[in-house]
Amino acid sequence: MTEHEIQEQEEQGQPEPVVLSSRGRVGAVMVVGGGVSGVQASLDLAGMGYRVYLVEESAAVGGRMAQLDKTFPTNDCSMCILSPKLVECYRHPDIRILTNASVKAVEGEPGNFRVRVVKRPRYVDESKCVGCGTCARYCPVKIPDPFNQNLSTTKAIRVPFAQAVPLASVVEPEQCLFLLRQECKICYPVCKNRAINFKQTEEELEIAVGAVILSPGYRPFDPSSKSEYGYGRFPNVVTSLEFERISTASGPYQGEVVRPSDGRPPRRIAWIQCVGSRDVVSGNHYCSAVCCTYTAKQVIMTKEHHGEVEAAVFFNDVRAFGKGFDQYYERARHLPGVRYIWSTAAAVRELPQTRNVVLRYCRDGSEVVEEEFDLVVLSVGLTPSASVRSLAAAAGVRLNDYGFCEVQPFAPGETSRPGVYASGTFIQPMDIPESVATGSAAVSLCSQLLSEERGLLLKGDMEQVRERDVSGEALRVGVFVCRCGTNIGSVVNVPEVVQYSGGLDGVTYVEEGLYSCAVDSIKRLTEVAGEKGLNRVVVAACTPRTHEPLFRETLRQAGLNPYLLEMANIREQCSWVHPWDKEAATAKAKDLVRMAVAKSRLLEPLRSVIVPVEHSALVIGGGVSGMTCALSLAEQGYAVHLVEKSSSLGGLAKRLHTTLEGEDVHGFIEGLGKRVEGHSRIRVYTQAEVSETSGFVGNFSTKVSLAASSETREIRHGVVIIATGGEEVKHREYLYGDDARVMTLLEMEEKLAKGDGGPGWQSVVIIGCAGSREPDRPYCSRVCCGEMVKCALRIKGSRPESEVYVLHRDVRTYGFNELHYKRAAELGVHFIRFDLEDKPVVEVSGGALRVMVTDRVLGKRLEIPADVVGLATGVAPAPDGERLSKLFKVPLSEDGFFLEAHLKLRPVEFAAEGIFLCGVAHSPKFIGECISQAQAAAARAGTILSRDFIEAPGVVGVVDTDRCIGCGVCRTVCPFEAVVLNQTAEGLRAEVIPASCKGCGLCSARCPTRAITINCFSDEQVMSQVAALVAGS
Amino acid sequence: METISVFREGIEALGEAGGWDVRLCYQCSLCTASCPWNSVRTFMLRRMLRESQFGLVDLGSEDWWLCMTCGQCTVRCPRGVPIIDVMKAVRRLLVGSGTAPARLHSAMTSLSSLGNPWLQEREKRTDWAGGLGVKRFTSGMELLYFSCCTAAYDPRAMGIARATVRVLQKAGVDFGILGSAEVCCGESARKAGNESLFRSLAQTNIESFGRNGVTRVLTSSPHCYYSFRNEYPQLGAAFEVVHFTQYLWGLVSQGRLKFSRGTKLRVAYHDPCYLGRHSGVYDEPRRVLGSIPGVELVELPDSRETALCCGGGGGRIWMETKVGERFSDIRLEQTRSVGAELLVTACPYCLLNLDASVAAGAEGRGGVGVKDISELVAEAV
Repeated sequence: MTEHEIQEQEEQGQPEPVVLSSRGRVGAVMVVGGGVSGVQASLDLAGMGYRVYLVEESAAVGGRMAQLDKTFPTNDCSMCILSPKLVECYRHPDIRILTNASVKAVEGEPGNFRVRVVKRPRYVDESKCVGCGTCARYCPVKIPDPFNQNLSTTKAIRVPFAQAVPLASVVEPEQCLFLLRQECKICYPVCKNRAINFKQTEEELEIAVGAVILSPGYRPFDPSSKSEYGYGRFPNVVTSLEFERISTASGPYQGEVVRPSDGRPPRRIAWIQCVGSRDVVSGNHYCSAVCCTYTAKQVIMTKEHHGEVEAAVFFNDVRAFGKGFDQYYERARHLPGVRYIWSTAAAVRELPQTRNVVLRYCRDGSEVVEEEFDLVVLSVGLTPSASVRSLAAAAGVRLNDYGFCEVQPFAPGETSRPGVYASGTFIQPMDIPESVATGSAAVSLCSQLLSEERGLLLKGDMEQVRERDVSGEALRVGVFVCRCGTNIGSVVNVPEVVQYSGGLDGVTYVEEGLYSCAVDSIKRLTEVAGEKGLNRVVVAACTPRTHEPLFRETLRQAGLNPYLLEMANIREQCSWVHPWDKEAATAKAKDLVRMAVAKSRLLEPLRSVIVPVEHSALVIGGGVSGMTCALSLAEQGYAVHLVEKSSSLGGLAKRLHTTLEGEDVHGFIEGLGKRVEGHSRIRVYTQAEVSETSGFVGNFSTKVSLAASSETREIRHGVVIIATGGEEVKHREYLYGDDARVMTLLEMEEKLAKGDGGPGWQSVVIIGCAGSREPDRPYCSRVCCGEMVKCALRIKGSRPESEVYVLHRDVRTYGFNELHYKRAAELGVHFIRFDLEDKPVVEVSGGALRVMVTDRVLGKRLEIPADVVGLATGVAPAPDGERLSKLFKVPLSEDGFFLEAHLKLRPVEFAAEGIFLCGVAHSPKFIGECISQAQAAAARAGTILSRDFIEAPGVVGVVDTDRCIGCGVCRTVCPFEAVVLNQTAEGLRAEVIPASCKGCGLCSARCPTRAITINCFSDEQVMSQVAALVAGS
Repeated sequence: METISVFREGIEALGEAGGWDVRLCYQCSLCTASCPWNSVRTFMLRRMLRESQFGLVDLGSEDWWLCMTCGQCTVRCPRGVPIIDVMKAVRRLLVGSGTAPARLHSAMTSLSSLGNPWLQEREKRTDWAGGLGVKRFTSGMELLYFSCCTAAYDPRAMGIARATVRVLQKAGVDFGILGSAEVCCGESARKAGNESLFRSLAQTNIESFGRNGVTRVLTSSPHCYYSFRNEYPQLGAAFEVVHFTQYLWGLVSQGRLKFSRGTKLRVAYHDPCYLGRHSGVYDEPRRVLGSIPGVELVELPDSRETALCCGGGGGRIWMETKVGERFSDIRLEQTRSVGAELLVTACPYCLLNLDASVAAGAEGRGGVGVKDISELVAEAV
């Protein structure tokens, strides 16, 4: 049976013939849940060579991220960074998306599961529908629009949202007049493509897969039951997700922040934190981990758009614990007109005239005040998605007390059923990068299980469309102007730009699109390019940074060389920066299009370079992250070189004895170390350091110096994973270093483990943020609050009569760590909050140690006699970070940790291809999180190692050896080690290695003889743009 | 700035008095924002809980006696701190140290010597029933009607007991009363910090009920209802308890009680804290009112789960509340604001407080009457 026949059978709902490997496993994986985590998992799986079934309960993939406005802490437009991934998923020949579908049963065993999937009828033929929306325009039934959190209405038949994937209408059966009582059916005749099909019925599919990843996501907490906030009674009390829809350009108010009651812009906005989190009343004892930072984002974005808004955030502990989050929170806090108030507020009444809401709250311990707000936003927590119980039952996995997946601390991606893995907020509340990383991590686990089944069920490479030779053709430029919904269209006069473009030299075709990156537009571009015989394409839309690969691929599908594309960024550079001057923005858009068209006339087809891949990895750092990553890669079938600078494996975790949950860390590391050292595919080098490296993705060569033998080994490898960890800060404050009774938390943990914390420890004070979140070390180290609670629990656990005080600036026990904070409170540990401006004082009086701290509620100075003082001093980056950063040409953040390619969507890789990072080297984190990230890095690295060849992009430097004088400036300035100097008969001549080159242009700009040209950015091409600009319209 | 130290003995004493769980408090101050006192004066609950956590209770503060145990804070507390228990525990310490307010002291004395808080003689406990032909409870009767001391002795609240009896008789219910063989349920005494008094009152009732073969008790007061239902079983009680509004709805829905007269009346219902928030009974009284011909039921601004307390719980019924700080005054203003002519409640304490506000006749409260639900029903049957 051919692949084509299999596909046909699948589409007819017939069972696919099961293809098993020689050991009886299936080279396919099912991903359940099409949010960002599931989408990332699908792409990674397909990238490794597995057949993927992506099962989504709703009518479109995208999940919650599709509903968000911007994302923290980078303020990227959520949909803009997500959409390319959705489209990529949709277009991938090895990913089959099943929407409106649920898993009914998972039978079988790891490696060979049979999954029964029920696909509910959409009543629209996905293959015929183009998502034009005509049906919705005619449909008479208005229903609340769930995509807009019911703030606006939609129709009973509709496209779920503008960038939906698949872009096809869906009928809401409970609302459709025809399905309910055989009336109406007006959508049927108005659909030109005859896509409406009311005869569709529910179908059941049986799909064979080797592994399953569950990523069903979350549901925002419904605050209707909380009388204290007035939600549901007062229209101007909204949830944070509703506020996302209110703020977003694609939302019901076109991005204008207005109130639901009267559509007026609010001047005073309050945010109330922890609604439905850390709350025994709703049963959600855990912290939802993301609300504090998304609130900071909403404050920042609101202030950015409406500077006059006064914002008040009512909090109890601000948990900005992630990478860059604390600085982000500080930024929000210090904006003019922003107040952070340490109190929860209750909505006591609505004012009848204005419908403003009066909040009552407490100012420290001294005052209770009432204050009027125009709008109140409830920062609602994350709860398991509605379908989680039935899914868990169907998949045979256990849930925890709160309905999240039951996982073990050292195996965060594994469910209670072998071969079934978990990712995203199914595991616990988490943000987008963690959802992405856990998605990739689950892929590693699949790839370990199915290491021999990669490539078994592939549909093959992307369908190869024959490339048209355009060399002899007359110039025919097509211009596609995007409205980006209202992002561009509400500012730039798009029809005017379209009309203008039509008159430009060489342009033979112009059209506008609502979203040029949406599936239907892409399809249309492909068709139009063929019909109109276009041989250059200009897309006037957004930034090439995110969308160029998509449009290049589209050209390829259209039979054009992908490099015949030019983009004009009329969103970031026009509508976004000049929202108040529509005419100027439109004029600028015309300029940019004119420049792009000018350049496009000079574009030439380019060929990419194919290079082979070395199937081995170099892992630097032998801590938990490095070992986990090495083991995962080895289990996936790749050779691994693990380099550790100290004499033994284990890293920072060697100094930990238990986790917050009480797990034995030493035992775990020992076991892990044994597995690593005993693995046939892993070679461990201890007392070893990387000294030199060269090469590029798939083909690195690195020298490792071995201290013991003074030898240097040269290792060839296809990828690098940096897992160099970090170390505990020794911060000299609070008498640390002067008095032996003052110690760091790790020192305290060591003493406790040895039993040194004996009867002498009657009164113990632990001080948080010692040296952290201060100007010299502005970041939050994430783990210390948990460590404080852990030590407190240990002391109280063994000596209940002792007094333990935790002095903190915020107790950041996010996620399920909150349960341990509560347990410590139950045991009588005193938690006292202090301000940076009024820090505790540790002093010695008559030989006795005592701590003075102001209790803000009592407004009094508390004197605490202390037998010992523990300091949460935070985690610093490993000392050789800078050296490695230079060696591998990868960046460090301001805080000295390694900086990934993209904080949201590329959390475990660098911009330089083939180089990855994980664990504390990325930023401080707990062991379980290190394990997740290490597995994620292994998966991302695996997408390269699984290939035999990689294709280098065409936009690279090219050296004209006749002009080159071999001065070597290019090699010095290249940040990617992409230039080599070769000895030739004429002397030294530069050469650019395409696989390493990023096309940044530094070499070209610095070359004294202009010998280096960057493809697509030749002097001639760039000058043509300048000329077009100055020539004017 | 004053320097203090954590007082360990204080923490332990409070804990032993039943306040251990204050340690759970994470100082979010939702309680303080929710407390109705803060709509009329400052009441720093957050601070009081903080003091309790450090064992530094200010025994001289009058604030400890303000809490009406309305429960608004407790049902919302995200850490599950039983704030009423903490109040109770502090009050136990205060009672133990002899610092309870004088008015409370006289009620307690009356309770321990006379079995009622109103300084009335035991023998006069059945005077309210004069001329109604109420039977003394005997074993085998369906119901014991437990009127509550307030409905038994207070001239105004007596109307509740009389109306209740008339309604029960009309429906042909087989019931009786125990008169001087019963004493105060003790609920408010317990909330006021007098644990031993509560226990002795409860024991007396439990023994008396047992001796007389009581299996089902009907109460007029939500406080008696709450205590019988939640506190007495821990002391060995094994009888069933039903509040009058629940029983009434049973009679109406089964057709055993028919309303005859119907005058047009706009009625608002005030949820008693111990019936609503503490016991979850919201619908039955509303259903009864809604089924009376001519009655148009309207909701007050703070009703059901967020109902504003009348100010009478937690022993406050025995203490004076300053003019300007009376929730019953606010309640009447709210009644007027929704255009109701009559405010109906289902608790003797609420009735006394609301009626006192009517009697005080402050401006802005004219034209609103106050009745217990039993009285309105008795008039309509």
